[in-house]
Amino acid sequence: MRLRVSLSISRLAGFLSQKILRRSGETIQGKVLLTLYPNALATLSKNRTIVLVSGTNGKTSTTRGLAQLISQLGTTVTNKTGSNLDRGSATMLMQPSQYAVLEVDELYLPRLIAQTHPRAVLLLNLSRDQLHRMHEVQKVADRWRTAVATAPDTTFIGDTDDPFVAYALSAAKKSIRVSFGGRTHSDGAVCPSCGIYLRWTKTNFACACGLTNGNADENRAPGPAAYRNAELANIAGAALGAKPMTFDIKSFERAVEKTISGIPSSIRLVKNPASWSEALATVKGQNIILILNAREVDGIDTSWLWDVSFDALRGKKIIVCGERAHDIHYRLHVAGIENTQERSVASAFAHFAPTDHVEVLAAYTAFTQLVTP
Amino acid sequence: MSQLRIIRIHNELLGTYGDQGNAEVLAFRAKHLGIDSTIIDISYDQLIPRNGDIYLLGGAENAAQLLSLEAMKRDNALKDAISDGAVLLAVCAGFQIIGNTFWANEKKVDGLGLLDIETNAGQTERCVGDVVAHSSIFNLDLIGFENHAGRTVLGSSTKPFATVSSGYGNGDGKTDGAVQGNVIGTYMHGPILARTPALADLLIARATAQ
Repeated sequence: MRLRVSLSISRLAGFLSQKILRRSGETIQGKVLLTLYPNALATLSKNRTIVLVSGTNGKTSTTRGLAQLISQLGTTVTNKTGSNLDRGSATMLMQPSQYAVLEVDELYLPRLIAQTHPRAVLLLNLSRDQLHRMHEVQKVADRWRTAVATAPDTTFIGDTDDPFVAYALSAAKKSIRVSFGGRTHSDGAVCPSCGIYLRWTKTNFACACGLTNGNADENRAPGPAAYRNAELANIAGAALGAKPMTFDIKSFERAVEKTISGIPSSIRLVKNPASWSEALATVKGQNIILILNAREVDGIDTSWLWDVSFDALRGKKIIVCGERAHDIHYRLHVAGIENTQERSVASAFAHFAPTDHVEVLAAYTAFTQLVTP
Repeated sequence: MSQLRIIRIHNELLGTYGDQGNAEVLAFRAKHLGIDSTIIDISYDQLIPRNGDIYLLGGAENAAQLLSLEAMKRDNALKDAISDGAVLLAVCAGFQIIGNTFWANEKKVDGLGLLDIETNAGQTERCVGDVVAHSSIFNLDLIGFENHAGRTVLGSSTKPFATVSSGYGNGDGKTDGAVQGNVIGTYMHGPILARTPALADLLIARATAQ
């Protein structure tokens, strides 16, 4: 009874948020629900098959792909807007369905595992991101591992080439370790399991304590993150009985084609050293706009810019803008990559003509603003 | 001096918080000042050369911090270089490492003893956020970003690097870092030399002084 009343009040809050504040109303409904009925996640997960997706990069697009796969099996709800804290999940679970595929923030994953008893959890990767909030990558990996160890009925699927994921998976009773080979890890100098210097042979690691990517259950060819995440989604889907799909890899890049101020643009989300490196590797044209903000969801510190090699942009026409434009301007300047700093996004686009095509790499808040209709 | 030698120590371990940029800013400013320079990366397996002019240590997580300390304890290279007049800029975990003692993974550890400081494990909240400070030693306004748990107490042989007007600094919200001769420690990331390139110029001037 109390749950039903709580649900009604939460829906009303969502409705008012949409009508009066013109927001999506996704977060507020879950927030109200969890306040009125703290056990809502556990209760609403009962009699439903739950699949969770977490990792530093690729959560939103991989969740979307996995939800497509799972919807072959039955009615499926999923958080489409990247609202990935417990309240976003609660909002999604307010709708009845047989399946729920939920994107979960790295720090909230242990709580979601404990409360929703998922059938499967897909762990994509872990690297430095929003350190003002995550503090240390190792601590996030430790929390994951503890959560994995306490869920013996859950199947954990993960990319074991990432030492932090391999470490978390090593505590699982049921797991599918997937290796693609072909890459190292910028935070992978220390064994997450035992703390000694992690020895890599090209793209493979094997620690004296036993942690290795050499014991995978599934091996796949190397490739970019978008491809790997599509493969991982298919492997996770297959674990639940879904037929594999051939995805357009572009849809896993979190890139949006859109005309802005009359300029045809492809806009890509970048938010930490790993995602910048992935995005910079795909840059093809000569016209570049980089937008750097440092709000809470972007990460309020910009020091990590110095972990990224911007060499791929050398010689291109580069305009930088955003609230922290100066930080990226100076970082490129020191690297000898000349660029023009602009005060606003609009004045950055004014450098280009409608006959140009511009590639935009944007921080989370800037990306959201640009792609939201 | 023929060439300014910038030694970046254990970047693969001490590069978590962007401090590797300090080396790039030093080389960039040196070029601007008409000084030829080179950045020499020393990894965990290598011995630290004694003939550097500026040595750099950055921020890291606990396990990486302990590995870097262990590697630097293989010989006295860093201490010898400093006795010979080299400059050392150490940030965050690197700052803690060069002190007398610090805490990592719930253990008290003996550091390199290049700075007369002690760092205690943070019992309360973690120190995270932007820092605004002024260094009277260098006569510079400074900005940076801090992200640490430890609290550092200065001994009698050191002076604070800066007075903090916003942020936690060494933990008391009053001072940040420590200076002892040519050894400078701070909690400020940013990287600090990218945020305040004038400090890079002053470090180069110290390193190139006869």
